[in-house]
Amino acid sequence: MHASMVSLITKIVACARILGSPSRRVLARRSSDAPKRSFSWKISFSWSGLKTFAHDLVRTRLDKSGGRIRLLMVGLCLAYCGIAVRLVQLGVSHDPPLTLKVAADQAASGARPDLLDRNGEILATDVKTMSVFAEPRRIIDKDEAVELITAVLPDVDAKELRERLGSKKGFVWVKRQVTAKEQQEIFHLGLPGVGFFPENKRVYPNGPVGAHVIGFVDKDNIGIAGMERYLDNQSLTDPHVAGFSVDPASLKPVRLSLDLRATHALRDELAAGLTRFRAKASAGAIMDVTTGEVIAAESLPDFDPNDPGDMKDPALINRLTVGVYEMGSTFKALTLAMVLDSGKANLGSRVDARENLRYGRFTIHDLHATHRILSLPEVFTHSSNIGSARLALMVGVAGHQAFLKKAGQLDRMRTELPESAAPLIPKPWGELNTMTIAFGQGLNVAPLQAMMAVAGLLNGGNLMTPTFLIRSPAEALANSHRFVSEQTSESMRYLLRANATHGSADKANVPGYYAGGKTGTAQKNFHGHYSNDRVFTTFMAIVPADKPKYLYMTIYDDPQGLPEDGGYHYAAYNAGRVAGQLIERVEPLLGVAPAQEFPTQPFPLLARLGYGFDADKVAKE
Amino acid sequence: MWRLLHVIAIGALVASAVYVYSLKYQTIYDSEQIVKTRHLIAREHDAINMLRAEYAFLTRPDRLQALADKQLDMQPLSLHQIVKASDLPEPVAKIDSIGRKLESLGLGGPTATPNAGVTGATPSTR
Repeated sequence: MHASMVSLITKIVACARILGSPSRRVLARRSSDAPKRSFSWKISFSWSGLKTFAHDLVRTRLDKSGGRIRLLMVGLCLAYCGIAVRLVQLGVSHDPPLTLKVAADQAASGARPDLLDRNGEILATDVKTMSVFAEPRRIIDKDEAVELITAVLPDVDAKELRERLGSKKGFVWVKRQVTAKEQQEIFHLGLPGVGFFPENKRVYPNGPVGAHVIGFVDKDNIGIAGMERYLDNQSLTDPHVAGFSVDPASLKPVRLSLDLRATHALRDELAAGLTRFRAKASAGAIMDVTTGEVIAAESLPDFDPNDPGDMKDPALINRLTVGVYEMGSTFKALTLAMVLDSGKANLGSRVDARENLRYGRFTIHDLHATHRILSLPEVFTHSSNIGSARLALMVGVAGHQAFLKKAGQLDRMRTELPESAAPLIPKPWGELNTMTIAFGQGLNVAPLQAMMAVAGLLNGGNLMTPTFLIRSPAEALANSHRFVSEQTSESMRYLLRANATHGSADKANVPGYYAGGKTGTAQKNFHGHYSNDRVFTTFMAIVPADKPKYLYMTIYDDPQGLPEDGGYHYAAYNAGRVAGQLIERVEPLLGVAPAQEFPTQPFPLLARLGYGFDADKVAKE
Repeated sequence: MWRLLHVIAIGALVASAVYVYSLKYQTIYDSEQIVKTRHLIAREHDAINMLRAEYAFLTRPDRLQALADKQLDMQPLSLHQIVKASDLPEPVAKIDSIGRKLESLGLGGPTATPNAGVTGATPSTR
């Protein structure tokens, strides 16, 4: 580099010489050509020297090019080095100089699309609010500013505010989302360097209704949980992509599958039951079995998304998707469907339930023991553990596992909700496991997952992943897979209906609706021992049983028996009763009026096979 | 001749300059108006949004339920309150009560309309 600089200087000097007087070399050549030239020659000579110089300057001469190319290379290298250094400087600097507008835009919460329920009611929307910011560099007396601001905004911590104003940042928030009155008062303080910036504040007009599905956002309007988080993951809302603020008008509202009124009714009924049965927790859902849409979903205790507070509390989890539980006897529906679908038994088959079933040192017994040979429908209506275990053994461990896998019970179910949990599968899975899982103990699944399987059993045998977004039946069918036959599905509907008329699910037999149902009371497992007085109760009901549309599920965790029920805490008394009330209350909301007459031919396939009896008239042998 | 042409050319030049400037200022004014209107629209949008949120808040189901429980004497729909259209009784034949009254008074017969040829407002015959 140094050498080339020197050569550059020498060149410039040489040029100057050529301009002033002909160079020695040229002079020598010219003088040898014409030794006796006069002064006039000298002028023209120097003119031609100039021309030669100009010519030399633009001519590529290989013997002189080396130096020039090197010079050019060095020059370019220097320029690029300069650019690189600047780039690194910009890259590593943490606090790039920002204009106020950009800084405020980046700090302010971005717009989000509205969330609507399936009927267009607002579940979540943005409203404009004002936030107070400060530019610490422009504040003259920081202590005075802190004093004045905290006088107007008493909930701002003075010490912390002083610290923030003392920082070297160009932009700090004083308080987000102030009221109009507070804004006026701050404005009248007339502090230089304190200003207002409009922000979007997310509001949930319905409070805790549907909170677990809707989720909530943080102060910067970024989705933290539920569908709000899902929206962000889908980059439907990218609040600060490269500093652009999203135009709120360009955001299309997102329609969820939830029905606000049904969800409210569900929450209301569940909450009433929660206090009545003094249960620890409760959950419930209503699903459209033809599309897999979740019409209503609630998990209690819940929270207000407007003010979520501390969400670390494990009691606040979404029990439908995050909690995994032993679902109890509702799992018998899966067991019976498996046996019927395998062809190893039919509705006319009989199962020996005369004695308790022994397996090694374990004994399986029935809650309401009948001590006789049961028909297959009776296994279901009497909720016989022995019968279910025997039926499952007919299919075997491998067949049982394969069926549950097909029914989506052994894999983590993924819906739009970011919160999910994997089922707890026993390892190793022996015959005893198959026997207990047959009646719903020993396999922990998320309740919504079990609901998905039951919905699939009832809707004609198509397993559809539940969705919280609007979906058409055709779309749902395209994304589903068949896991039991049409006939098995109809048999299951028949069994559920029979259970509502003659079995444990009589609470779901609401007049006017052709409902079917199944109870489930699972004993809770504490440190490997099943407790007799601590139970987890579930109830599933389908309305109507002949042309299935809505599947109801209610769950109570550790409900207590009521004295008027004889102190029983079984599912029929709590979850079942609430489900019955729900059907009565929600069906009209969903546009289904109670009917005076029941369908004349509810189960045509079964009728053709010779099971000509109506589920309402199953003989109680 | 040439002078006239020059005058015309200069005149045209000045006129076009004036026109262009007026156009420019008009455009600036209009674009300012557009920006102002846009701001107004945005404000209205925000206000509409606010009102929608407020409406949703005021019509939220739990509030309405509490109000209805307190203010209205309503009960849930029950099955016996619903009847099919075919269960409704047949409508009774329409009764012409005025006609019957007239008949019972013996006024059912054709009325004797006064002849146009007879003079006087009151009928002459009894």
